[in-house]
Amino acid sequence: MTSKRAPWGLQVVGAVTAVAFAFPAAYLVYRNVTSGAERLTLLQSSRTLGPLWRTLQLSVLVSTSAAMLGVCLAWLTVRTDLPGRKFWRTVLPIPLVFPTFIGAAAFRRTLNPGGLANGVLEAVGLDGFELRGLFGAWLVLTLFTYPYVFLPVAARLLRMPGSLEESARVLGDTAPQAFRRIVLPQISGAAAAGTLLVFLYTISDFGAVQLMLYDTLTRAIETNYVARPAIAFALSLLLLALAMVVVAGERRFSGSGNVEVQARTLNPVSYTLGRLSLPASVAVMAAALMSVGAPMIAILDWATDGVLRATRDGRPLTIDTEKVVEASRNTLESSLLAALVAVIVVLPVAYLVGRYRGRIGTVSHAVVIATFAVPGILIALALRFWTLRAGFAGDLLLDTKALLIFAYVIRFGSLALGICLVAVQAVPSRLLDAASTLGAGRLRRLRTIELPLMAPGLLAAVGLVLLSTMKELPISLIIAPLGYRTLTTRIFGSFEEAFVAEAGIMAVILVAMSAVLSWLLILRKADHA
Amino acid sequence: MPTNLLRIRNCRVHLRAALCIVALFAASCGGESTDGAATTIYSGTCAESTGEEIAVYSGRSENLIEPVLDAFSCETGVDVNVRYADSTDLALLLAEEGDRTQADVFLSRSPGPIGFLESQSLLGEIDAEVLDLVTGDNRSDAGSWIGFSGRKRVAVYNVDQVGAGELPDSVFELTDEAWRGRVALPATNGSFVDWFTVFRDQHGTDVATQWLDDMVANDARYYPNNRSIVEAAARGEIDLGLVNHYYNYQEQIAAGDDHRALNHDLANEDIGSLLIITAATVTSASDNPDEANELVAYLLSEPVQRYLTEETFEYPLAAGVQPASLLPPLAALEIGTVDFDALGGGFEETTEIIDVSGIANQ
Repeated sequence: MTSKRAPWGLQVVGAVTAVAFAFPAAYLVYRNVTSGAERLTLLQSSRTLGPLWRTLQLSVLVSTSAAMLGVCLAWLTVRTDLPGRKFWRTVLPIPLVFPTFIGAAAFRRTLNPGGLANGVLEAVGLDGFELRGLFGAWLVLTLFTYPYVFLPVAARLLRMPGSLEESARVLGDTAPQAFRRIVLPQISGAAAAGTLLVFLYTISDFGAVQLMLYDTLTRAIETNYVARPAIAFALSLLLLALAMVVVAGERRFSGSGNVEVQARTLNPVSYTLGRLSLPASVAVMAAALMSVGAPMIAILDWATDGVLRATRDGRPLTIDTEKVVEASRNTLESSLLAALVAVIVVLPVAYLVGRYRGRIGTVSHAVVIATFAVPGILIALALRFWTLRAGFAGDLLLDTKALLIFAYVIRFGSLALGICLVAVQAVPSRLLDAASTLGAGRLRRLRTIELPLMAPGLLAAVGLVLLSTMKELPISLIIAPLGYRTLTTRIFGSFEEAFVAEAGIMAVILVAMSAVLSWLLILRKADHA
Repeated sequence: MPTNLLRIRNCRVHLRAALCIVALFAASCGGESTDGAATTIYSGTCAESTGEEIAVYSGRSENLIEPVLDAFSCETGVDVNVRYADSTDLALLLAEEGDRTQADVFLSRSPGPIGFLESQSLLGEIDAEVLDLVTGDNRSDAGSWIGFSGRKRVAVYNVDQVGAGELPDSVFELTDEAWRGRVALPATNGSFVDWFTVFRDQHGTDVATQWLDDMVANDARYYPNNRSIVEAAARGEIDLGLVNHYYNYQEQIAAGDDHRALNHDLANEDIGSLLIITAATVTSASDNPDEANELVAYLLSEPVQRYLTEETFEYPLAAGVQPASLLPPLAALEIGTVDFDALGGGFEETTEIIDVSGIANQ
């Protein structure tokens, strides 16, 4: 925004954050240097280029469709009189919480031949339909990742003044014209940040592409871990390099959006949908049915099946209430902590990039965001690697909840950063200037002006990290203190050995919990803040 | 500001309500507890804690192993701390931790991760009297690992789509035109990689590679793991798949009568009837090798072997325990178990061959 240099304290904090988030990258570089693979031959081989090309293809497709879906859903549920919009705003972020190994399996179970809703597809002439390959991976990932765009854009729309749009309408713009000329420039920052996350998530995803039988870089990495570790590490570094390029590119092109918020925007413009109300409702419902409904059908089917099967002399349920309650408590505790810490940790970086000029801000932003492309298992291994080599500090951290939270923050801090940045940039500098002229100190300005204005954005950031952490698997398995179980690790433990009913029941609890939390944190607070 | 305070309290009330709902829901679903499962292994009163502690990394899943470890703790008074995760991920973790690992015992679903750890010299030696609990086939000559259950390769098929007369005797029949597009392979899954490595060992790399290429040419379909193949066969998405035997029994038991997939045993002498073991190891870094050995011996005890076969339908390997009644008898098998030691760097080359075949890219 301005060309001011950042205060050195902020710069130091930014640099420390960058170093912390660079742990996985440094680990990958170290592993590549110490392993003796012929990397150049590897990179030229068609077996590397093929998966790389497929990864790119899928990521571009998924980002495009998730961006469009996310923006449309956000606009419809925030800026129009769509019936039940608050309900939809609670439901639409839920796909974030499906662990991909459950989600993709649930999709197959529901839509594929012999599946629960396959009859519907056959009835409309889609005989022999099967979800797999590029199309399957694209569909599932789009439906799982649009909330990365939906949440920040909705938060942005909630705080966008209606005055400009109103003027445009008064001057004769149609609604689409006003959207393109007024709304789009205002939300483009949030949308771009969200889309970048979708892109990075897609290149790091393993669960969905594996179940959809689409051969990408992550699958090549996974199959090589034990058989040919050197190749796996080289491919992982390639993945990270790809992420860095995309992140740097996004920064260059998106620049700082000239956004503006009003201190109180309790009644933003609300379009009357009129005749369009029905089709819009149908569209939103279809999106929710596909993204939340389809996996839920399978999960509920597993769960009810389990409850009923005792009557059909199947295996009795083996669910220990006490353990499930404990796992739920752990999930709540660790994900809430991770979400709060993540926002606090990335906020200084958001300030560095959003308010000031300087290399440290640019670099730490790039490092935090690009780390989102690193698969969770590598982040887990990297942190284990560094704590074992950190001497006294490492011994203190080893096998603690603190290390687990730290790992979650590194894995998902990027989710918070994009939204925080938009929130920081959206605080009008003239308000701060005025306040400082009137003698308000830095802390006071933060408390009375900035935090209230940024609140919806910050809460959306908390929500995004929260929902993502709740479903996180590899870090929860590898880094958690021995014996510390979350709902997701319990679900994994059941699902693996055909205890699908138990997995289903716990997945229902996970989804219910996330729905309540997203309602509490994102909706209620955002609307009333 | 009073309104703010009010809101915070409000929020707390909501949170508490949410927690209660979760707890109630969980409570209403509660059936038999895992404590119940543990009592099928040991039903006596628990020994007093010895104060000893061991750490286990388990690639076998929590639902299955937790009752075993609970029973062990109860019976011996040794505390057990566990990390459950995928065997491969745990092997990578162990390699990263090296001699500073907390783990005393590592349980693997398949031989691959064991071979990997052995190549890095991270496995300790299991006591001779423990090794003697199984036959020579089912343990390492060097004493670095011991099998504690067996899983057999079979063909799972959909009963509505495959006629009884059609069922093959050998995996080599599956390259015939009659099977075009009908067969599924979990080509990148650990157990398939292990199996294919032995295939190469038995028939030669050329024959094995040719078979895989022919399968790809015959439009064999790739699935990421055994479970997804069994599930797809039950739905009728595919006709037949090469998998480990026990998944289908588990699904059958879980699903009850509507299950539409059955196991078919290939001929005894066929490579498609291989028995692959799951293994226990003691890490070379273990601080408590005595307790670790005690646990490994416990896995091979009569009650645990019985539990493993009754609960997950795996083949017991020790203590004279008979396989669960629905399993075909194991004695008929001609081909021995996978010899991890003889495989050497076999996994690496196998991964390469599978990669080149292009099966995983459809």
